[in-house]
Amino acid sequence: MLQVNGLCKRLPDGRAILSDLNFRVEKGEFVALLGASGAGKSMTMRAIVGLTSVGSGSVVFTGETGKTYTTTTASGKELRRARRNIGVIFQGCNLVRRLPVLDNVMIGRLGRIHPLRSWLYGFTDREATEAMEALDRVGMADFASRVTGSLSGGEMQRVAIARAIFQRPLCYLADEPIASLDPKNAESIMQLLQPLARENPILGAFHQPEMVMRYCTRVIALRKGKIIYDGSPRLDAAELAEIYGSELNRPALTMAAPAAVER
Amino acid sequence: MNLGDFSLGRYRRRVIPAAVFVAIVIGAALLCEVSFSDFVKGIVKGLSLLTFFFPPDWAAFPEMIRPALVTIVICLIATPIGAAFSIVFGLAGARNIAPDWLRLVSRSIIAAERGLPEIVTLLVLVAAFGLGPLAGVMALAIGSIGMLGKLLADAIEEIDPRILDATAAVGATHWQVIRHAVLPEVLPSLVANSIFRFEVNIRASVLLGAVGAGGIGYELNAAINQLEYSRATVAALLSLLLVFLSERLSDRLRSRIIGAGRLG
Amino acid sequence: MAAAVAVPSSILPSVRFRRRILLLAASLAALGAGLLYLKIDPVAIFRDFHYVVGLLDEMFPPNLRLLWVKKGLWLSVLQTVAMAFLGTLVGASIAIVLAFLASVNTAPSRPVRLIVRTLLATERCTPNIVVLLVLLVAVGIGPFAAMISLCIGSVGMFGKLFADAIEQVDPLPGEAIAAAGAAPLQVIRYAILPQIAPSIVANVFYAFDVNLRLAVTLGVFGGGGLGFELHVARSVLRYKDMFACLILVMILINVMERIADFFRRRLFLREVELR
Repeated sequence: MLQVNGLCKRLPDGRAILSDLNFRVEKGEFVALLGASGAGKSMTMRAIVGLTSVGSGSVVFTGETGKTYTTTTASGKELRRARRNIGVIFQGCNLVRRLPVLDNVMIGRLGRIHPLRSWLYGFTDREATEAMEALDRVGMADFASRVTGSLSGGEMQRVAIARAIFQRPLCYLADEPIASLDPKNAESIMQLLQPLARENPILGAFHQPEMVMRYCTRVIALRKGKIIYDGSPRLDAAELAEIYGSELNRPALTMAAPAAVER
Repeated sequence: MNLGDFSLGRYRRRVIPAAVFVAIVIGAALLCEVSFSDFVKGIVKGLSLLTFFFPPDWAAFPEMIRPALVTIVICLIATPIGAAFSIVFGLAGARNIAPDWLRLVSRSIIAAERGLPEIVTLLVLVAAFGLGPLAGVMALAIGSIGMLGKLLADAIEEIDPRILDATAAVGATHWQVIRHAVLPEVLPSLVANSIFRFEVNIRASVLLGAVGAGGIGYELNAAINQLEYSRATVAALLSLLLVFLSERLSDRLRSRIIGAGRLG
Repeated sequence: MAAAVAVPSSILPSVRFRRRILLLAASLAALGAGLLYLKIDPVAIFRDFHYVVGLLDEMFPPNLRLLWVKKGLWLSVLQTVAMAFLGTLVGASIAIVLAFLASVNTAPSRPVRLIVRTLLATERCTPNIVVLLVLLVAVGIGPFAAMISLCIGSVGMFGKLFADAIEQVDPLPGEAIAAAGAAPLQVIRYAILPQIAPSIVANVFYAFDVNLRLAVTLGVFGGGGLGFELHVARSVLRYKDMFACLILVMILINVMERIADFFRRRLFLREVELR
């Protein structure tokens, strides 16, 4: 499905921020990228979507029919075609604040509609209905006509998920979808993502190991741009200490994981 | 408190700048031909003139309605045209969506344009198109482009880059990002600024009218030149009313736009 | 379920599209009606374009020799700046005094406050040209009349802003000083002025910018300075001279804007350091 081969990226001064990343994400997986701040999680995400250029290596997506797309070497139309197959779940604050919620969801389809239609007509009623369904799935249907900027952080995050669902991608990339959310909201976002992952795989960057342990199927841990762990999400204290470098950097693990909070 | 507090040392840092400042003021006053006797004479003459200006010649009021409407219509046409063009210059002048050379060109045009008061633009336009509202509309529209274009370009540059990235990441083209992320983010502020600019334009168009762009300003200037002072008073009062109303309207509308985030 | 996902009609794309088209059509119709009302023929812009070309032809190249041949031109530049400078300075000074008379917390009495407020509001609404035209009659043609007109305009521009700033001042420091036995004027000097100083400075720079443009503008009407030079050059159809003046105006305003920005930034930096 998603294959990352030997991805490398260096800063202009020669320091490596990603060195030789290799992994595959298969159908049905919910993979968590873990790592301390600056370990390269965000850069990996950006490289996969083609928002940043990489030194070497490739990212390849394979569709149901066996058609492949790449973001690392593509540009222009080809890149656009690849990107529309990746549903990026950004942090909620990356939504267009002054648009109604529904429009923000419909933006997910931009890769599939002609730019001229964007300017001359806009979206169709059918697309709006579909976007409504995506909103309904994340429990935000009642908010469709609200201005996005007036929503809370958790609500915006749901809208961001709805946008990715509406995009109908081959796989999802989630860039710290539960950072800056309170535990209750974070929990319910994870409960939304889990069933989503069964349809199309999710690769997500996370900061909360205890959430990852309960919801994800696999963990890839990065440290200084290298993969240092790839396997079961059941991490023990020693493994965590290695991922996060020191005890000081480690997120509070002692806080007992709360029982799943139903919404 | 003792005398020591008033030592020169404490004041030296202020005395020298103050002396320079006073010198500049005096120099400026000389340049402006400020004269106290003229001032006193002016007041005396002004007071005696008051009898000519008052009471207003209300009989002239009906003739003034059309010029007042002309002033309003000139601004109503010029402001939206200016706003529409300012979108082009604003987009071209924003660092985060336009290439450097285009930004430089657009920003230079805006800066040059902002350096020209409307009246100067008008004088040039009058030389080309002759007197009349056409030159006035164009001068005000061009003036609006400068101000609105600069504000819009600045507003676009302030958009969170992550929002643009997030939109591009779904496979949107550059122009789609502009249409669906950039414009929705900045249009409300453009509308609010345009309404403010409308208010500015009303003031300016009274002025431009006096040069010959028509409207209430023209009537005012004509009345004074023909020494019909009581008639001029009516025109002056009417222009005052126009400015007052436009200010009220713009305050009201702008607080509404800023208050309620807009849909669509 | 089906009912839950129905798109609210207010944001249904087709409805919005129709609304947008209607709005566009209405605006265009209004624009057309406006042009008709003003008896403007939009085609004239293109039909008469050869006049523009002809004018540009006559304007090029700008007679930049004027800059060193005609000594009076530099005097005009200085005169324009001086008008704006004095107009802003005197206007701001008068405005500060009036603002104290117009604020709830510092006005000596209610009637005074109401009278001054009304005066300020009237002045705010009076277009500069009205003042200038009257002053030209009273004082006579020249930069002095333009300067006074700028002064009066600045008073209108500042007065309300300052009065509002004074009314928003934190009353506690003033009360503390008054309790210690300070006279009302001392309260103003040591408790209120420091609080409104940043707003005064910011507005003074903004007003200088506005006044510089107005100084050029009023010059055209006989206020002297660069505006007058421009007007004269145009009246005698010396378009190359006019173009030179035009460039001078453009440079002058942009340079003064930079200078004002520089001083403003320095003053505000100091303000921050003090805190």
